Amino acid sequence: MRTLLATGWARTLAGQLFAIAIALALGSVIILLIDESPVRVFVTLMRGAFGDSEKIAGTLLQTTPILICGIAACIGLRGGMFNVGIEGQLFLGGFAAAWVGFAFSLPPVLHVLAAMALAVVAGAAWVAIPAFFRVRFGTNEVVSTILANYIATLLTSYFTIFLFKRPGGWSETPPILESAYLPELFSFSRLNLGLLIGLALAIVTAAFFRWTSAGYAVTMVGSAPKFAEYGGIDVRRVGFGVLLVSGAVGGLAGGVETLGVHHRFMEGFAPGFGFDGLIAALLANGSPVGTIFTALFFGALRAGSLLLEVDTTASREIITVIQALIILAVSADLIMRRRGDRTGERRWKF
Amino acid sequence: MDLAVDLSGITKRFGAFTANSGIDLAVRRGEIHAIIGENGAGKTTLMNILFGLLQPDEGTIAIGGKTMIVDSPAVAIGQGLGMVHQHFKLVPSLTVADNIFLGMEIRRNGLIDRAAQEERTRSLSEKFRLRVDPRERVAGLSVGMEQRIEILKVLARNARTIILDEPTAVLTPQESRDLFRTLRSFVDDGMTVIFISHHLEEVMAVSDTVTVLRDGRVVATKPKSALSKRELVRLMVGRDVSFDRRPRGQTNGKVALEVEDLWVRDDRQLAALKSVSLSVRAGEIVGIAGVAGNGQTELAEVLSGLRPASHGRARLHGQDILDLPPAAIRAGGLAHVPGDRMVRGVDRTASLSANMLIGRHRRAPFARAGVIDWSAVHGEMWTLIRRFDIRARGPEDPARSLSGGNIQKVVLAREFTAGGDVLLIDQPTRGVDIGAQEGIHDEIMRQRAEGRAILLISTQLDELKALADRILIMFDGRIMGAVDGAAMDEDAIGLMMAGVDPADMTEA
Repeated sequence: MRTLLATGWARTLAGQLFAIAIALALGSVIILLIDESPVRVFVTLMRGAFGDSEKIAGTLLQTTPILICGIAACIGLRGGMFNVGIEGQLFLGGFAAAWVGFAFSLPPVLHVLAAMALAVVAGAAWVAIPAFFRVRFGTNEVVSTILANYIATLLTSYFTIFLFKRPGGWSETPPILESAYLPELFSFSRLNLGLLIGLALAIVTAAFFRWTSAGYAVTMVGSAPKFAEYGGIDVRRVGFGVLLVSGAVGGLAGGVETLGVHHRFMEGFAPGFGFDGLIAALLANGSPVGTIFTALFFGALRAGSLLLEVDTTASREIITVIQALIILAVSADLIMRRRGDRTGERRWKF
Repeated sequence: MDLAVDLSGITKRFGAFTANSGIDLAVRRGEIHAIIGENGAGKTTLMNILFGLLQPDEGTIAIGGKTMIVDSPAVAIGQGLGMVHQHFKLVPSLTVADNIFLGMEIRRNGLIDRAAQEERTRSLSEKFRLRVDPRERVAGLSVGMEQRIEILKVLARNARTIILDEPTAVLTPQESRDLFRTLRSFVDDGMTVIFISHHLEEVMAVSDTVTVLRDGRVVATKPKSALSKRELVRLMVGRDVSFDRRPRGQTNGKVALEVEDLWVRDDRQLAALKSVSLSVRAGEIVGIAGVAGNGQTELAEVLSGLRPASHGRARLHGQDILDLPPAAIRAGGLAHVPGDRMVRGVDRTASLSANMLIGRHRRAPFARAGVIDWSAVHGEMWTLIRRFDIRARGPEDPARSLSGGNIQKVVLAREFTAGGDVLLIDQPTRGVDIGAQEGIHDEIMRQRAEGRAILLISTQLDELKALADRILIMFDGRIMGAVDGAAMDEDAIGLMMAGVDPADMTEA
């Protein structure tokens, strides 16, 4: 992970585009194996994602949670913390926001703020447990946050089904009050303020790392912890804080999804957004602004895939295959780059 | 003359840069031939050409009297050459024997015959008196042991001429001495050793003939007996470099750093410092001499707040510092040049500016209200680049694009300008070219003249002799004794470094 953030952006961009190209090429082979035309599949994907303004809004709707989860991942990566628990933080944040939304009656703006605040607290609290074990006992946060995901999804299911189930409904809570809705941006889509929250968050995060003392401290802890310790930075405290903020943003993603799109909490309401966000952040090499574009890419794949089963013989799962191939290609690129670093052949200014 | 290796007129260019220029090198059979020169003088390039890893643009290679084209290491190995690289190429998860026979496994019925490999390893190990356990896994072995395996690897391929590239860079002094003894026994058996180094002492200690390279050219080839250390330095650097004691004024400053009865544990929870007491005055350089690994690192770490003390006191300007975090000790006026500069001293991936900023990233002039003023940081870094003669293109260069000596200058520049008036300097010139060492020594003396209190830890006695006002000798976590820097008795220091109590010396 260490070399991840230390390379030039041009090289990064070239590397990632190459990774995507390889993934699409290998995806094409698989599409050919099921006797479908890759060109038709990709054109359909593009049409499904960007065909008209409604489709674009649909893409942006899918992009929003991936983007916010991606920012959560970026914050962790920058501080040397691999938060794989964003999915769980998203679920708890989503549930917490819904609970404030349906259980309390508050004036409009205040209601949203209160629901969001609890979502953020829930996400941070959920990651606080792995974070504590990490800084106190050195427990690997990758493992502990993954495990926490299972607990989070099942815990929210339990809340939904046994404690707050809407009478007569599916596995979902009662709907939230309208005062807790995030305002929609257009009349023809559920696309809402959440997208702007995500974009603002990306820019604020980038500025934080670029220009603030605290952002500098986080970066040093992430890239050279012993150096940071020597320089007087409290490495444990920074590490704990980084995970907490990362979890808080993960919780926020859940809140945005609940208040902006579903207006209730449903069991399994946001499958895979946390993981997609993590991949988007990795593909963007930990850059918050870059994550805007990679999140858009994954959002387009998700939105475009809806049309795929209608217009082609390919199944929607083909985008999962393409995503998996991208992960492989990116990992291979990282390994190559790290090897280059070790032998000192490649040196990149940043 | 019976030559094991005869290179003549070797030239190698990389683009516009000429790494080797018309090099002649004749190595006699049965000698230890040292090739010495500063970093970048062309030593490694030359050896890579001899070993077939690089092709020369001009010149010829003769091995054992036959002129030939060496276009791959296989050719070189076939001619009885063996190379022990500076960075070992072992597989940690395999055993010693498996590593030695990697690529030339002894087979039976198409399967690897482990027993035969182990037996061969054992016999090689006995024959050359290089003790190893053939069945041990390489992971977890000491660096000295890994090198021993590399040498056995070469011997298993029937090498008669062994090339070692900077073999002592990673060894402890004891391991180095063992290595030299081994090399001597090789030449006694009629083998030939080519030894690449930039360390004067070991070249003087072990070699028969010395070839000095500078800027890609041979500046001299002489028998060691015809060379003095001073002359060797002049040949390497191209000018006289003084290791004489630096002239200095008298000082009688206030005590700035005081340590009393300090006990510290190392990472294995063993006592690394045992009742250490010392004090450093303003305008004074107190040297800590000793073989590496006798508690010096732990002393530096505990004083800078990176390691807890188990018992004792340490005061910086009268303030107790043992329970303070590193940031508070820095704020109290301690600057620290760490011994392991690549891990502690810099973030290799970060820019020079980012490296300079550490510890100062929260305060004016570089930060206001939590926001960093990068143009001020870059401006300061430019100033330091000029003042400390750091060879870099600019403040935004990543630290890893610099040579070791220049990285050390970045660390010194940062610490000497951080505002601390007590300087804790651990191994200031380790791995630094001789020419650059002089500049670092100048800077340390300047700090002394400005009234800073300096605790200087070094394994090089010459350095302490040149700089220190008083020298304390450490052995096994204890201060064995102190000597005056101006009138130091090297024999006494040597004995104390080996653990002999000075009280016993007078009796003897």
